[in-house]
Amino acid sequence: MRALSHRCQWAATEIAEHVEEDGMRNRTVRVAVAACAAALVGTGLAACGGGSGSGQTRITIATFADFGYEDLFAEYEKAHPGVKLENRKLEFDAHHSQLATQLAGGKGAADVVAVEEGWLPKFRTSKDKFVNLAEHGAKDLAGQWLDWKWNQGVTDNGSYVLGVGTDVGSLAVCYRKDLFQQAGLPTERAEVSKLWPTWEDYARTADRFAEKKPDVKFVSAAEQIFLAMINQAGEGFFAKADDSFVADTNPKVRAAFDLSAGLAAKGRTSGVKPFSQQWTVGLKQGGFATEVCPAWALAQIAEGAGEGAKGKWDVASVPGDGGNWGGSFLMVPKQGKNIKEAAEVAKWLTAPEQQKKIFDKTGNLPSQPSVLRDPAVQGKTNEYFSGAPVGQIFAASAESLKPNYRGTQDSLVRPKFQEALLRVEQGKQQPQDALTQALTQSRAELK
Amino acid sequence: MFSRWDIRITPYLLIAPFFLVFGVFGLFPLLYTAWVSLHDWQLADGNQGFVGFDNYAALLADPLFYNALFNTVSLFLISTVPQLLAALGLAALLDRSLKAKTLWRAGILLPNVVSVVAVALVFTQIFDRDFGMVNWLLGLVGVDRIDWQAGVFSSHVAVSAMVMWRWTGYNALLYLAAMQSVPREQYEAAELDGASRWRAFWSITVPSIRPTILYTVVVSTIAGLQLFVEPALFDPKGTAGVGGSDRQYQTLTMYLYEKGFRVFDAGYASAIAWMLFVVVLVFALANFMVTRRSVRDS
Repeated sequence: MRALSHRCQWAATEIAEHVEEDGMRNRTVRVAVAACAAALVGTGLAACGGGSGSGQTRITIATFADFGYEDLFAEYEKAHPGVKLENRKLEFDAHHSQLATQLAGGKGAADVVAVEEGWLPKFRTSKDKFVNLAEHGAKDLAGQWLDWKWNQGVTDNGSYVLGVGTDVGSLAVCYRKDLFQQAGLPTERAEVSKLWPTWEDYARTADRFAEKKPDVKFVSAAEQIFLAMINQAGEGFFAKADDSFVADTNPKVRAAFDLSAGLAAKGRTSGVKPFSQQWTVGLKQGGFATEVCPAWALAQIAEGAGEGAKGKWDVASVPGDGGNWGGSFLMVPKQGKNIKEAAEVAKWLTAPEQQKKIFDKTGNLPSQPSVLRDPAVQGKTNEYFSGAPVGQIFAASAESLKPNYRGTQDSLVRPKFQEALLRVEQGKQQPQDALTQALTQSRAELK
Repeated sequence: MFSRWDIRITPYLLIAPFFLVFGVFGLFPLLYTAWVSLHDWQLADGNQGFVGFDNYAALLADPLFYNALFNTVSLFLISTVPQLLAALGLAALLDRSLKAKTLWRAGILLPNVVSVVAVALVFTQIFDRDFGMVNWLLGLVGVDRIDWQAGVFSSHVAVSAMVMWRWTGYNALLYLAAMQSVPREQYEAAELDGASRWRAFWSITVPSIRPTILYTVVVSTIAGLQLFVEPALFDPKGTAGVGGSDRQYQTLTMYLYEKGFRVFDAGYASAIAWMLFVVVLVFALANFMVTRRSVRDS
């Protein structure tokens, strides 16, 4: 060491100093890596677990979007002195992947967690991490829900109740009246619905629109059309019978891909990621003439397009059959300290009276027939969307629709097809090549 | 007696906290990751059994791994080479007698103290296809707009721009500090001999600060090979994405994140982590040898 030249010593001190600075440089990476490490170590992300203090029971509820719970929390606390409810909110994907980490680590999860239906099958494979709500009386309430919604939340032939349903998505198409008028298309919602009994008619309408308004895209992204069609298919990437991968042989997947990739190849879609920042900019600039609209998307479109577009949007029916897109469940992780109270909260938050209040406040569509038939729900209109009778449009279809089967690996495979459509939109690939690559990647992922 | 014990033990006690913290947050996770990488280990369901080196074998046959490795090295080269050259030039300019010296020196460090997330979000808007400033400027000179996220090279340029923006000033300050310790007499002698400024820069300044240059190369290598936030946030899907529609800008760390936290395959992700460790080690070792040789030369 003594042989080190003076200069070298200087450099060594420099390095020692800057190794520390380097820590700053990669902080975010380190947070990610540390999170990974922590999960692997088995400590989990100790995000202040719901301990009870000063004789109060604190129940945390983790959600990802606007569930409309704030006012309801106050109501529950009033009726249950000694219980304090607390909301934790994260972005959609972050919420679900964090939950997986917390389940793996055995601590850190909220007492009640929301899980979206697309992610649910993934968690169903680790059902032993969740409380069987049947043990807390949830089974007696089964009749409250739409049959298909209830069935999505149970396993083991209905004896294991993993989650109780919050909302459902249903499907509709939102459109810009002013742009339709400029393109010489009808603007009245009944007439617009008549434009597209099928998705082929929808694609033809897109062509008609493009002739008059070439600078406006007909829809934000091809994946919106693809996912809507998959959600109407009954069976998508996986077989209902045995959960095997059937995307390469299912004609409905093929049809959905061909139609949406066709729109993409013709330049009818913009290619932005739905619900991203670019999507919001596109909406604000009036860049999209239509959007696929599950009930929960109305609020997001209204927020994205802003006050300036109020009254310019309207809601028409979706091409093809009814289908469901989205909606969530409340589940109770076993690792919680107050399982009994948490189960009560989950049951209460999904009860009919609460679903009705949530619908009124946020537009999230109830998942229970008694609420869907409620005159107040049926008669609800949405001012932003030109006073469209959203209660009727969504509630009517929610009862008749058949849900799509989701394989346990659905959330792994779906992005491959979304990326394939994006490649077509970016002009990087022809539709057939894009589909082939998506299928190859899916098979590799499932190996 | 006690004082001798004190002298012997106290230094170790004083440095012990570092080693304890390093052991808990550095060494243990490192070794545990190695252990996990030898198993079929699912993030949510835990250990599914010992598989030996299967994860590594699969990784070495995985085209997506090589894609991520290529992107990582490409992004490292595109961002680091111009960055260090620009930093060298900036430092040379700041080394002259300037008015309001401190203002300039503090100024070039400013991009470095801005949150990386903010930088990534702003640059993603600047490089936006439809409403981005870069495409607008290109439009003024008649160049067609570019879908920056779509291409391999275009996306690498955009991501590299963020890295350069954040780190050029920081490296320039390091160079500046080194330049100021170069004896002024050497410049005066060179001037007397009729050397131009350009000649003096390459013949005196650069050789004199070579250790600093090599240090910045080593540090940029380590940081560059772990690049994550900038490319991850350049993807409109954020960390849920895979670095573009065809993984054009997915780095090794992003691939690790995808496998670990999207696919929940902790065993495979740990294998990637160790491969990344090896790659960084190889690069760092290569740089270390160059450093040693060049220090001996000078």
